[in-house]
Amino acid sequence: MADIKSIDKILKKKKADFPESLIEKIAEASERHDLNAGELEELIDRIKKAYERATVEDGEAVGTVAAQSVGEPGTQMTMRTFHYAGVAELNVTLGLPRLIEIVDARKKISTPTMAIYFDEDYFETRFKKEDIQPEAEKERFKEEFVRKTANMIGKSSMNDILKNFNLNYADMNIVVELDEEKIIDKRLDRDDIIKRIEKAFKRVQIDNNMLSFEPSTSSKDETKIPIRELRLLADKVRDLQISGVKNIGKVVISKEGLEWVIHTEGSNLGSVLKMEGIDKVRTTTNDIHEIEKILGIEAARNAIIREAQNTMEEQGLTVDVRHIMLVADMMTADGSVKSIGRHGISGEKASVLARASFEETGKHLLRASIRGEIDHLTGIIENIIIGQPIPLGTGSVGVIMNRR
Amino acid sequence: MSSKLTRFEKARIIGARALQLSMGAKPLIEVNEPLDPIDIATLELKKGIIPLDIKK
Repeated sequence: MADIKSIDKILKKKKADFPESLIEKIAEASERHDLNAGELEELIDRIKKAYERATVEDGEAVGTVAAQSVGEPGTQMTMRTFHYAGVAELNVTLGLPRLIEIVDARKKISTPTMAIYFDEDYFETRFKKEDIQPEAEKERFKEEFVRKTANMIGKSSMNDILKNFNLNYADMNIVVELDEEKIIDKRLDRDDIIKRIEKAFKRVQIDNNMLSFEPSTSSKDETKIPIRELRLLADKVRDLQISGVKNIGKVVISKEGLEWVIHTEGSNLGSVLKMEGIDKVRTTTNDIHEIEKILGIEAARNAIIREAQNTMEEQGLTVDVRHIMLVADMMTADGSVKSIGRHGISGEKASVLARASFEETGKHLLRASIRGEIDHLTGIIENIIIGQPIPLGTGSVGVIMNRR
Repeated sequence: MSSKLTRFEKARIIGARALQLSMGAKPLIEVNEPLDPIDIATLELKKGIIPLDIKK
């Protein structure tokens, strides 16, 4: 009975301005507990009180408080932790190094990783199309599909699918036998592999699964091919990448609850999102710059919030989201992800005095004097420097006489 | 005066009014006992009769 519209009406009557998510939560709670009209109003009254108590007042030093609220738990974090919860085979930077990485907005993060989810709706349409009825059959199809996708994403090289590898110094060639079983086990396409091999090596003869490679002769002497060249070719053959998405290395398939998830080492959100059957909503990466490039700045803001909070929670520390949101807002406010510090938001402040007080004082003052910059003294730092009341807290309030 | 003051606004107004009182302005409430200018200003604010406004 208590849908969002009726709650909106009560809220308007009570002059409460709640965010959408809170209204949804109220609707859900009233549904769950089957509240009558009086109870719902009581609930909203109490929530309004609590909500107003939790809001900040005009003039509060939210930035300073946010800095301390993120900084203090930072001191308690383990200096170095390399471990991934759940999937033991993958290494992911956590703890303080990760937090520093986030606020520094590094272009190249040390351990990019993705969590790839699958789209249940896609499975359903496939079941219908291929007329798969029994549950066990469906599960098998899902697993097969997940494994196939994982092998398409994960990197495999020739080395993974060889049965025999022979360096023949007499004939100066390399004879290789492909392992059909391994190819099937890895859910790879044989023709595709052959095509890749042909593209990568000019001098190759293919006879079913037997491949024979010859090193390209240097133009000087046709008869004498140095052994070194043959060995180099051998390495090249072994390392030829036959499947996988660029920038992604190892993949780990795991079952979380009832569904399949692929975790990867390395990240390429753009390519993975284009693949079939992948949940485009939940699939994600920990590379904030990649998210910014592919999904935009708002997504990057959310990614910063999520990553920072997960990192803190991982260590058993809780920080109010609003502090982290403020940090994320500052980092993303002007349309691209900026780091906190000299090269980011502190280095690009409008006021000369504020910049000079942070780092590289001489450089900023000299440049400002050359350009004839004007400081409007609107910020905190500028006013502290020249000894005026600062526009914060009591200082942000102006008083005028009002004779009645 | 607008509906609800923040704690900063309260402090600022009480401070400004207390300064006026300390320099000889006449209190707008009955003061029968010796009181601090700040206490007088606080009482005035409670009654809502301070002749000062907040400029945002």
